[in-house]
Amino acid sequence: MKKITILILLLSASIFSQEKYTISGTIYDDSSNETLIGVSVYFPELNSGTTTNEYGFYSITIPEGTYKVQVSYLGFSTLLETIELNKKITKNFKLKEETESLDEIVIESNIEKLNVRTPQMSVNKLTAASIKQIPVVLGEADIIKSIILLPGVTSAGEGASGFNVRGGAADQNLILLDEAVVFNSSHLFGFFSVFNPDVIKDIRLYKGGIPAKYGGRLSSVLDIYQKEGNSKEFKATGGIGLISSRLLLEGPIKEEKISFLIGGRSSYAHLFLPLFDNDNTAYFYDLNTKINYRINDRNSLFFSGYFGKDVFGISENFVNTYGNQVANLRWNHLFSDKLFSNLSLIYSDYFYGLTLDFVGFEWDSGITNYNLKYDFNHFISDKLKLSYGINNIYTKFNPGNIFPNRDDSGIVAEKLIDKYANEFAAYIDAKHKISDNLRLQYGIRFSNFTRLGQDELNVYQNNQPVIYNSQFKVYESATPVGTETFNRSDAIASFNNFEPRVSMSYVLDDNTSVKASYNRMAQYLHLLSNTASPTPLDVWAPSGRYIKPQLLNQYAVGYFKSLKDGDYSLETEVFYKDIQNRIDYINGANLVANNEIETVILNGQARAYGLEVLLKKNEGKLKGWLAYTLSRSEQQTLGSTPNEPGINRGEWYSTPFDKTHDFSVNASYDLNKKWKFNTNFVFQTGQPTNYPVGQYEIQGLNVPIFDENRRNADRLPAYHRLDISATLTPRKNKNRKWQAEWVFGIYNVYGRQNAASINFRENRETMRNEAVQTSIFGLVPSVTYNFKF
Amino acid sequence: MKKIYILPILMCFFFSNCEKVVDIDVPSIQPKLIVDASFEVLFDETPVTANTVVKLRLSADYFEETIPTVTNATVFLTDLSNNTIVNFSDGNADGNYEPLNPFIPADNVDYELTIIYDNETYKGIATKVKSTPFTKVEQGDKTLFSGNETELKIDFKDPANIENYYLFNLSNNLFLSVEDRFFDGSDYNFSYFYDEDDLEVPATVEIKMSGITKEYFTYFRVLVDQSGQNAGGPFETVPSSLLGNMINTTNESNFPLGYFHISETDTFTISLVKKD
Repeated sequence: MKKITILILLLSASIFSQEKYTISGTIYDDSSNETLIGVSVYFPELNSGTTTNEYGFYSITIPEGTYKVQVSYLGFSTLLETIELNKKITKNFKLKEETESLDEIVIESNIEKLNVRTPQMSVNKLTAASIKQIPVVLGEADIIKSIILLPGVTSAGEGASGFNVRGGAADQNLILLDEAVVFNSSHLFGFFSVFNPDVIKDIRLYKGGIPAKYGGRLSSVLDIYQKEGNSKEFKATGGIGLISSRLLLEGPIKEEKISFLIGGRSSYAHLFLPLFDNDNTAYFYDLNTKINYRINDRNSLFFSGYFGKDVFGISENFVNTYGNQVANLRWNHLFSDKLFSNLSLIYSDYFYGLTLDFVGFEWDSGITNYNLKYDFNHFISDKLKLSYGINNIYTKFNPGNIFPNRDDSGIVAEKLIDKYANEFAAYIDAKHKISDNLRLQYGIRFSNFTRLGQDELNVYQNNQPVIYNSQFKVYESATPVGTETFNRSDAIASFNNFEPRVSMSYVLDDNTSVKASYNRMAQYLHLLSNTASPTPLDVWAPSGRYIKPQLLNQYAVGYFKSLKDGDYSLETEVFYKDIQNRIDYINGANLVANNEIETVILNGQARAYGLEVLLKKNEGKLKGWLAYTLSRSEQQTLGSTPNEPGINRGEWYSTPFDKTHDFSVNASYDLNKKWKFNTNFVFQTGQPTNYPVGQYEIQGLNVPIFDENRRNADRLPAYHRLDISATLTPRKNKNRKWQAEWVFGIYNVYGRQNAASINFRENRETMRNEAVQTSIFGLVPSVTYNFKF
Repeated sequence: MKKIYILPILMCFFFSNCEKVVDIDVPSIQPKLIVDASFEVLFDETPVTANTVVKLRLSADYFEETIPTVTNATVFLTDLSNNTIVNFSDGNADGNYEPLNPFIPADNVDYELTIIYDNETYKGIATKVKSTPFTKVEQGDKTLFSGNETELKIDFKDPANIENYYLFNLSNNLFLSVEDRFFDGSDYNFSYFYDEDDLEVPATVEIKMSGITKEYFTYFRVLVDQSGQNAGGPFETVPSSLLGNMINTTNESNFPLGYFHISETDTFTISLVKKD
């Protein structure tokens, strides 16, 4: 049905073709030759235009004639040229940064003006420049901590890097770095995210209306592109902070043809630990590399890599290592001035290792995937743009490998059974201007997930890995009655899903529009986590015979208004989503080193709904935004038969990331050329938790009683804090190559002791029960020195 | 395997003052019968003796200072192989019921514990779980996180080709539940670290090692987690209600809490000294 509609729409677009020509090209930053993403190319006389894609390419086909063309991009001076179009032409544009024309360092305006016309909704963009000014704890500029200030996005807690989008779980975020999936986005157990802000070119967060080219995760897409590297001149950028320092080198290998970029970041606090006679260690580093070869106008090659690692050790007793590795080869090819293609080969790997000397074992686990993507952008006319492509991901899961760490350890080596899966997807997506007022973006994604053969698969009586023991009223793990053996090429289970996506915008007047969207998505991987937020040890499990894929429907409508000529904008959206096959766990479930993970999993569903308001001031000395979200996020786990209670008596319960109110303000003020100030204020309803309903003693141990039937019914106290930062750009920067700035910050200015958790325990001295609140950050001052030459 | 709560420890490592006691209004429920019946057969002693106390209490609101005892219950144990009965009584009226005649649970026999309290009957069944003695227990000189812990090195020989589960009672209400999955049949050794807050050295401690069932292992792992011994931080697992193996046969919905379990237990007494 959906397919037929697409065809009709396509036909209606191409039937009325007349004498038309195509203008296409690439848009660059004049200073570095870095391609620019999302630049608007607009023909005012035609009231028609397009934007550049992820590789800076644009193409538009319009009737013959002489037109003014306006090329504009955030932070750059707008170009206005006259073009005579009587044959197809290739036209590259180079934009100059606004700052250069003033011959002074002025921080670029960092807020994107609202585009009321595009049907894409529920998407937020942030530039690397604005991320660097948002005050964060310890002064480490951080992408994930910054997006949490946007409506509909909340944090999994202080010191936890996971984030939750529109009431979705942290494992439902698709995090892409140059198109490669990143499994763990945190350093130091979540204090910092793995993305070095100097290396980032463009960040987009899709919360809804997710285009068909993305798939595999339900709640959001965080699409991050790294810079390509300056192909004109050698440049260095860096910063020195309290926790880590970073340095980025970029430059041409062959001018305007081949460029490179290499960025490194490392913490260094551990270097000083030996001075205090401390043999503990804790550090992280990451390395971003990129080589970029513009072969000719039609072909470019990119190689990019990311290598990150965390090492945390306590004497020799405990050593913990984990990190992501990503390598990516991409080939851009123009088949014609209307057909752009990108072929990517991506390798992505996540490793977790642990040595516990005092029990004598070593552990490693991880996930590795190989991804082939072929994407096309087809610029059919000024009214219709198509994207289509295919994607195949082969994944190997290593759920754990245990072996003795020393000769006398007594540990018997055990390898948990590796799992394999293949995910194939094909999609087509159209951006279609039906009339001046009505624009549509619609598409469909087909995904197939095949769980491939593994050495041994457990088999259970009646196919039931979990049994309800009605006598003791508990769910129990079944014992496998046997195992089945497969060849690697066998399919243990296979799932097919059609995922339609539709968005529309209807313009009421030049400054006002309404938008609506629907998207269906499938997620085949599940993060096994029974904790309030992800930890590096969390294990991913593929769907298969016992675990079904998660399926989402999301509906959103919004009202968008640009006020005072774009100086202010108002965006409001309401959303509703439902998710099938959201897993929860039986009581006492052990998720680590469990070869029979299906025996601790219960199948349920989830839903979330809410209202988001974003009011922005885009111009002037004082800029910023105010974001408010009112929402609810719930989960239900019914028993598989009417005699079983499920979880919480089968009734809906709050997810651990249900935050009723989420309010944030970010404001920046440019006092003068020397000083700039930035502030955040955040207020959130406390996260759901469980308080004990009583106590008892077993073998002298005092134990709180938790009520099965009021899961997540209590709340931690509300979370709020205020942060400020000041950026000093010394005057002597003028006319010299070395450009520098100081960023001074205070996180949590009024030292609010926000509760990360409340635990109940018996005090060892008084032997009385007490509730203990754990807070992570009080007031934290910081200073960072950034430079560029 | 003991779960390692490294994350909150790391945080407190870097940032002091991260814990404070707060006032919380907690919900309350009708008091429930609590059955604490963990019988220990001290199998490696001559003569073999046994601890066979059934402690009956009621649950209380979380911040209540005293836990009520149950002194007016009828308690008896049935040997299901021959239906003989062992009667228990609360001689000291302190809620601790002991057999009228000393009694040592036998191998491979199902015992049914019956408690009649407040006109309701509670029942549970247990069979003695075999164990293995300590091979060696000694003090080590390593430390773990803070540098002030006391190391206790424990050795024992795990019987091969059987799934074994052990509960270590390290005194001072410190427990550790262990499964032999990763050391089946080995001469296994591991270290336990006493935190300085949990045990002040020099001290003489009696430690116990008991063979336990798989169900009791899971139960105790959650119990120790929820008692707050290891808990803390945002990485804590979701708390859940913890039902034991006793059932109320009169009124199913008024289920009791606690456990009836019989283990073989070995004890070891060690004097721990202060080391630098």
